[in-house]
Amino acid sequence: MRLVAFVLVMMPLAVPSALAAPQDVANQISADVMSPFCPGLTLHDCPSDAAVALRERITKMAEAGYDRAAIMTELERDYGPTIRAVPDPRGSGLLAWLLPITVTIAAGATAWLLLRRWAREPAPVEGYDPDVHITPKDRRRIDHELAKLRGEA
Amino acid sequence: MGSPAGLGAVSLRAALAFCIAALLLSVAGALRRDRAVADAGRRSLAASFGFTGLASAALLAALFTHDFSIAYVAKYSSRSLSAPYMFGAFWGGMEGSLLFWTVLLTGFATIALGRARTQTPRLIAWAGAVLAGVAAFFLLLLVLPADPFATLSSVPNDGAGLNPLLQSPGMLVHPPLLYTGFVGFSIPFAFAMAALISKRLDTAWLTATRRWTLFGWSALSVGIVLGGAWAYTELGWGGYWAWDPVENASFMPWLTATAFLHSVVIQEKRRMLKVWNVSLILITYALAIFGTFLTRSGILSSIHTFTEGPIGKWFLPFLGFMLLGGIAIVLARLNELRSDNRFDSVMSRESAFLANNVLFVAAAFTVLWGTIYPIVAEVITGVRLSVGPPFFNSVFVPLGLAILGLTGIGPLISWRRMSKGAFSRVIRAPLAAGGIVVVTLALGGIRSPGALLAFGLCTFTTVAIVSEFVRGSRVHRKRDRSSWPVALSTTIARNRRRYGGYVVHLGVVLIVIGLAGAAFGTERHALVDVADSMRVGSYTLTYEDQRDSSTAEKQINTAVIGVRKGGETLGQLFPQRNFHFAQRQPQSEVAIRTGPIEDLYVVITSFDQDGAAAIRAFVNPLTWWIWAGAAVMLGGMTILLSSPAPVRAAARVRTEVREPAVAAR
Repeated sequence: MRLVAFVLVMMPLAVPSALAAPQDVANQISADVMSPFCPGLTLHDCPSDAAVALRERITKMAEAGYDRAAIMTELERDYGPTIRAVPDPRGSGLLAWLLPITVTIAAGATAWLLLRRWAREPAPVEGYDPDVHITPKDRRRIDHELAKLRGEA
Repeated sequence: MGSPAGLGAVSLRAALAFCIAALLLSVAGALRRDRAVADAGRRSLAASFGFTGLASAALLAALFTHDFSIAYVAKYSSRSLSAPYMFGAFWGGMEGSLLFWTVLLTGFATIALGRARTQTPRLIAWAGAVLAGVAAFFLLLLVLPADPFATLSSVPNDGAGLNPLLQSPGMLVHPPLLYTGFVGFSIPFAFAMAALISKRLDTAWLTATRRWTLFGWSALSVGIVLGGAWAYTELGWGGYWAWDPVENASFMPWLTATAFLHSVVIQEKRRMLKVWNVSLILITYALAIFGTFLTRSGILSSIHTFTEGPIGKWFLPFLGFMLLGGIAIVLARLNELRSDNRFDSVMSRESAFLANNVLFVAAAFTVLWGTIYPIVAEVITGVRLSVGPPFFNSVFVPLGLAILGLTGIGPLISWRRMSKGAFSRVIRAPLAAGGIVVVTLALGGIRSPGALLAFGLCTFTTVAIVSEFVRGSRVHRKRDRSSWPVALSTTIARNRRRYGGYVVHLGVVLIVIGLAGAAFGTERHALVDVADSMRVGSYTLTYEDQRDSSTAEKQINTAVIGVRKGGETLGQLFPQRNFHFAQRQPQSEVAIRTGPIEDLYVVITSFDQDGAAAIRAFVNPLTWWIWAGAAVMLGGMTILLSSPAPVRAAARVRTEVREPAVAAR
């Protein structure tokens, strides 16, 4: 457990390094916007000549000192809101983020509560599995044999 | 009738007639408990398979003989298309792919029903009815809106040819494997529905379909990985997975099928989670059908437009009927589906499996929601939004890492019950190993929290799984006085299902290592003149020469790229930018220098008038491990598929007494 605590202490060290080269900024942005030229693909993944030209334009904007937000605004102005590959969590895109998280938490909580309840409830016939057909004496012997083989007896 | 078109059209109609006969005879046989009538239904389905096979042969003959009077042949093949890709053309278009799906379905149904004859006649009869019903739907599509034998009034001299992207060896294997996976799930789905209808809700349907589930899942797994490999080597964007709706369509049923594969173990061992299991296979098959609908309806934007068509409206009622009917019958049988046992403790392998199931289903829901959200948002707000890879990565990666952690915890925890003390003892070593790797990598300069967590969990899971192999082998070594390799092979051979599963898990770990490597990738692009150089990562690429050649199908322009690293010459790469005559379409052929540490990936996006090449170069660390992990997974699947059918519980208990490594800790 001390090791886990140490790992947790070390984790803040593991922060993403700042993006340096304009091409890195452009690559990152092109991975975060959808291509207006390839349906369903990001600009980064789109192989068309028009996409190559748009990536080049983004690189030039980054070289000219535009930050990420400014480049995104330019792109959205030219191509509309569908160019953003991620729904905006502040507006109509909130539901996109909220539902998967809610469903996951609700499913996990339900499973946990059911598990707790089932684990407290006795089996239909305590200690007897109808398909196994073993007596309590046999079960004790099995437990004993298993313990012996594990070196616990 | 003498032409392939005539033979194919007649065969499809005959197949549909036999399929409807199979449906009616199977239902009648089941209702009247008449084995002879049910057997006649089974034979009708086999006849339907025969005629579907004949239709497939007719389409292949039309492709190979360049019978451009058939619209499909004219649209998806050409005289210059090489012979292997004629098979690719068979499933490269919507109508052909549906015919391929149907021939697989009727073929699998014939085999599955024939092999299950030892089962209760009513179970087989109802399973036959469900399979015949599904096959009849697909045959109806082939006869009406998606006829692969529709003819043209004006016959062209040559065809349009197959999409160049599909002219790749991977495309000869990837789509058939995906279809095999989807169709493979028809068998457990049909038997589950048959079990519900006939009230045979013991494990008979699971036993009869276990291999089919594994087979379908294995085919889908390999198909998905091959799809990634195809994207990596053909599409030229340096990646292997784009969260495209069509990719997601294959991934969603894979996620729920993986959950099903785990939860059936609980039903087999403990007679629990019966409702959950029938629901999971229903969801899996519904997602497979939904994926087929997504791929062919055109309702979502996707690069996979080559299979779109006007059949979307046919799928929705079928999907609705299947889902609502399935849910209704599950609800009607809730009493009969009650578990025979209860969880003994929250601290048990059953709980770990249940948690794993929740995460897999949540992951499937997440992917489904992200895939359909653009439509949902448009319906609700009137504004079309995009949901791309950054969204899926944000919501899916945490779930994926949690599943990876459970993959490590599963083998450590015993069935029924385990004390907290015992659990903390067994988890200590894997946890320590994972922690050491995280700290070492963090101190070594790795700054991505996601990658650090992934590497830590990979180590944790590997140590947990390897310790299981060591523990099992140690027992066999001591008992048989054998060497370690012999003891290891004995351990695996004695319980292929368990250890085959562990091998699959080790493959998954390797794949995650490969995926985590993407966090450290580098990419550069530049317009480079002959004899000039560019840098990417620690590599220097020199554009040494351009070579031109041509074939009947395409003009080939090859760039000769010299590769150096740290002053050392590593050789040359030969990326191409080609022009396909039939499609009037340029296409890049990627050049990759691959290895366990990193891939150097070079693609030419264009050549300018002066011969300068626009080069896009990537350094992709650890990608090699994705393919290596897939190969390990395939090995595990082979072990799993070779395992005998589950033994009766009493016999299993006797085995557990003999083999402590197999038993609960």
